[in-house]
Amino acid sequence: MLYRLWYYVRETFTSLWRNLSLTLAAILTVAISLSLVGSSLLIREGAARATAQFQEGVEFIVFMRADATVDQDAAIRTVLDTSPAIAGYAYVDKEAAYVEFQQLFSDKPELVESVTAEVMPPSYRIVPANPDAGNVAEMARQFGEQPGVKEVATATDAIRQIEDFSNRVSQALLVAAVVLVGVSALLILNTVFTAIGARRQEIEVMKLVGATNWFIRIPFMLEGTIHGLIGAGLAVPALFVVDRRVLAYFQESDAVPLFRGFAVPEGFVWDTGIWLLVIGGVVGMIGSAVAVTRYMDV
Amino acid sequence: MIRLEGVSKVYKGDVVALRHATAEIQRGEFVFLVGPSGSGKSTFIRLLNREEVADEGRITVSGKDVGEMSSWKVPFLRRQIGCIFQDYKLLPKKTVFENVAFGLEVIGRPRHAVREQVPAILELVGLSRKADRLPDELSGGEQQRVSIARAFVNRPLILLADEPTGNLDPGTAVGIMRLLDRINRSGTTVVMATHDRGIVDSMRRRVIELDRGVIKRDESQGVYE
Repeated sequence: MLYRLWYYVRETFTSLWRNLSLTLAAILTVAISLSLVGSSLLIREGAARATAQFQEGVEFIVFMRADATVDQDAAIRTVLDTSPAIAGYAYVDKEAAYVEFQQLFSDKPELVESVTAEVMPPSYRIVPANPDAGNVAEMARQFGEQPGVKEVATATDAIRQIEDFSNRVSQALLVAAVVLVGVSALLILNTVFTAIGARRQEIEVMKLVGATNWFIRIPFMLEGTIHGLIGAGLAVPALFVVDRRVLAYFQESDAVPLFRGFAVPEGFVWDTGIWLLVIGGVVGMIGSAVAVTRYMDV
Repeated sequence: MIRLEGVSKVYKGDVVALRHATAEIQRGEFVFLVGPSGSGKSTFIRLLNREEVADEGRITVSGKDVGEMSSWKVPFLRRQIGCIFQDYKLLPKKTVFENVAFGLEVIGRPRHAVREQVPAILELVGLSRKADRLPDELSGGEQQRVSIARAFVNRPLILLADEPTGNLDPGTAVGIMRLLDRINRSGTTVVMATHDRGIVDSMRRRVIELDRGVIKRDESQGVYE
């Protein structure tokens, strides 16, 4: 059993080494395409987190002052309950705001520790009947003038900008990534095909003396899987670079304040990395399996 | 051991390789397949280890229907059948020892079995001293001996030989025939396709003559004609 395992490992690595230039090409293509897949996922997640408060039709948020009086609060609530311009709203109290804050900044414990539920502003998340940008801006201005209101954040500019940005970028990346994943599968297929061609004679003899098809196939399939896994392995550090450099850049920039929420927790980056390894392995295995099946049928 | 019942094989373009061939070969027999090029000798051999599948008729090898056999069983059939060829089919980058060992390794024989059996078979074919040579450092006769060693190292029931002396001078060919005769005497059934009149006439074994895919003659202790 061990002997056979050693045989597979030896054959696989001999073949990888013999085919070095194609092997490197395949591995790098996998690495690049999976980096793009990963980046796309990170940007999506970042955007979803940055705009979490504005999901489900919420167009603007009225933040109350932490020290707003009960009367001031009731006045706002009356307007929201009675005005035909308001389709719906949700009230987020201090506790809920604090929980959300903890989630959004889960990777920045020092920031979470510096605040308490007491200082969090309660807020109303408002779904207007008419989500037109001009209308929302006007309503936001009116709410902003009410006593007890700290500030009004509208979704129309910053949020839509962020959503738009992340959609475009992540979609573009995803399209490029899908194409490249296809290219890597083909490249792996070709590399394995070349490897098989280089060992034609051996395969002929193996069949002749009665080696099973699986015995012949396994080293080649391992080879393709290893291409995929190594490529994915290179893409994982690239994910962290994207997270630390690109996403962090947005968080620190003041250009669009909401980008500051553009943080992805480290756990999510790891999870994405694991997915990339799975995708890489599967792509490699499929590519080589196709090559092997095409060649092997007796 | 081997039975063909009404076996036909037609290649693309209506090239008939074998037509209604019927023959039975007993365990331990030595059979020459003779006939001109294109008479179906190679097809006969390739049908036995299922490199080809018959279009018609039934072939059984040690009691198993070769044509009906599911493809995952074919490797196990081939482990019972050794094959040698005119061009030896040795792996040029492996030594004599490694070439023979390869035949055992790829069917999953354990390492200690390889260590014991390979030197023994090299002794049998008379190449013990050349175990570390590469094939291109050997003469044609020696290369054929390596290929016989590889085919026989697993002690198959049947040895198929397709023109094994085709590339050898007569003196060397006699040596190869002595070796095949010895293997046959140990109980292995040998089926050998050949053009070599001298060998067939001097061995006086069973002869099956093929002509354009038809078995024209089947005699025990026959000659080439």
